Amino acid sequence: MEKVAVAGVGMKRFGFYPDTSVHDLACAAALAALDDAGLTFADIDAVYVGHIFMPVMTGVRAIKEIGLTGVPIQRIENASATGSACLREAYLAISGGHYDKVLVVGLDKMTEVMGQTPSAPALEDSILPAAFFAMWATRRMHERGTTREHLAKIAAKNWNNGALNPMSQRQPTTTVTVEGVLKAGMVSWPLTKMMACPIGDGAAAAVVTRESTAKKLANGRPVVRVLASHLGSEKYERGHLFMGPVVGPAQMSRDAAKDLWEQSGIGPEDVDLVQVHDAFVIEELEYYELLGFCKEGEAEACIERGDFEPGGRVPFSTDGGLIARGHPGGPTGLAQIWETVHQLRGTAGKRQVENARIGLCHMMGGGSVCIAHLLGRE
Amino acid sequence: MADSKPRIPAKPGYFTVPDDPATPPEVIVSRCQDCGEYFFPKRLVCGKCMSRKTEETTVAARGTIYSYTFVHIPLFGSTKIEYQEGYGVGQIDLPEGPRIQLPLVGKQEAFAVGKRVVGELAAIREQDGNDVVLLRFKPVEG
Repeated sequence: MEKVAVAGVGMKRFGFYPDTSVHDLACAAALAALDDAGLTFADIDAVYVGHIFMPVMTGVRAIKEIGLTGVPIQRIENASATGSACLREAYLAISGGHYDKVLVVGLDKMTEVMGQTPSAPALEDSILPAAFFAMWATRRMHERGTTREHLAKIAAKNWNNGALNPMSQRQPTTTVTVEGVLKAGMVSWPLTKMMACPIGDGAAAAVVTRESTAKKLANGRPVVRVLASHLGSEKYERGHLFMGPVVGPAQMSRDAAKDLWEQSGIGPEDVDLVQVHDAFVIEELEYYELLGFCKEGEAEACIERGDFEPGGRVPFSTDGGLIARGHPGGPTGLAQIWETVHQLRGTAGKRQVENARIGLCHMMGGGSVCIAHLLGRE
Repeated sequence: MADSKPRIPAKPGYFTVPDDPATPPEVIVSRCQDCGEYFFPKRLVCGKCMSRKTEETTVAARGTIYSYTFVHIPLFGSTKIEYQEGYGVGQIDLPEGPRIQLPLVGKQEAFAVGKRVVGELAAIREQDGNDVVLLRFKPVEG
């Protein structure tokens, strides 16, 4: 198997772009990734383009705006994990020897598709999706004595991380406090507005290559390798929820971490920073445990100690996470790659994790799939 | 309900809508004839043993709250005043095994993990002279 590396990353800051087409957003991110890698579109052997919400062929048409070279282009969709799925397909194709240089692009404009849901609601469509995450929090509070302050502390951390990231959708100008998060309007008890990710538009891209090619392109920068890639789906157990947009069985994230450790031969103690699917704060809390960064039942004590804060034992959501950096859909998983590559190169500016060598990126898709990658600096 | 409009389900195939409003609704499920596992919503292949011998049946709409929330936004698709300030939602464990997620009747203070609930049909809007009804669960004491 060929070793695989991320040779370039690019992003269009997530936000609201009423006057910019989704094609132009995708172009901006893709060209930035090509420039970062030191390549042009003519060098690219294949493209995986991902979007959740936009109409059929939106992604392929967006790529045509960058170039028409006859290159194979494949659209990928796997709900919130769409961007991560693009990276994984590139990883598989390169490690299998099929391609050398692959461009992956995620794009979406949630603001263009809002309100386009069917007017006659299906059974679970009448319920706000946030409710399903809120019920995970309620159950956790019942079982472990988690408080709303624990949840608010995660949210405040991620908002404040966003303030340090020029690509973050939310960039608070004053420090966000636990009190401020708790005082924000309630969406679905116990979750307030500030404990949830925003909607938005945006794009993110990466150039994925053989490690040998990335070394030639490195130009003095450290090469960032893909050490492991995981995609899994649900396993049935009693109590499984089959309805609606759900958070998915916890076991999916445990299985993802186990697979990453087995593929790479390293463990959670070797990881310097982590990005997760923190669409709602309760998720990040659960993933501390499910991905193996603390024992079951210890997340609350870790939050109190600041284990996952900047400068803590293993910083989580260093770019602001879905909560602050944003979650437009298709590009989100590749924004995690953008952040991790910068951290591992040592170019993450004010939010730089000191001497970061290994980063984990984890995304859930519709509560039905889990995709995770481990990146490492050579 | 004071009036007696014909009732139709918000979506067919999930719960029964008896002709007589006094008859309690039931939950439509699948039961595996090989391993006995129950599923909601109904499905063709058993999710546990993958047997194709599943049968559609109904079970009583009652169970216990596994978890709950109160949403501070109007219920999508509802025109009823009672949902304008929000609504409860529960994950309900049916004694046969399935866990289902549907609205709860009442305010936050009325809900608790482990609390017993029973199902009822509630109109969420009118459509072509019919009441469109949704199954929801109401906490019961004891």
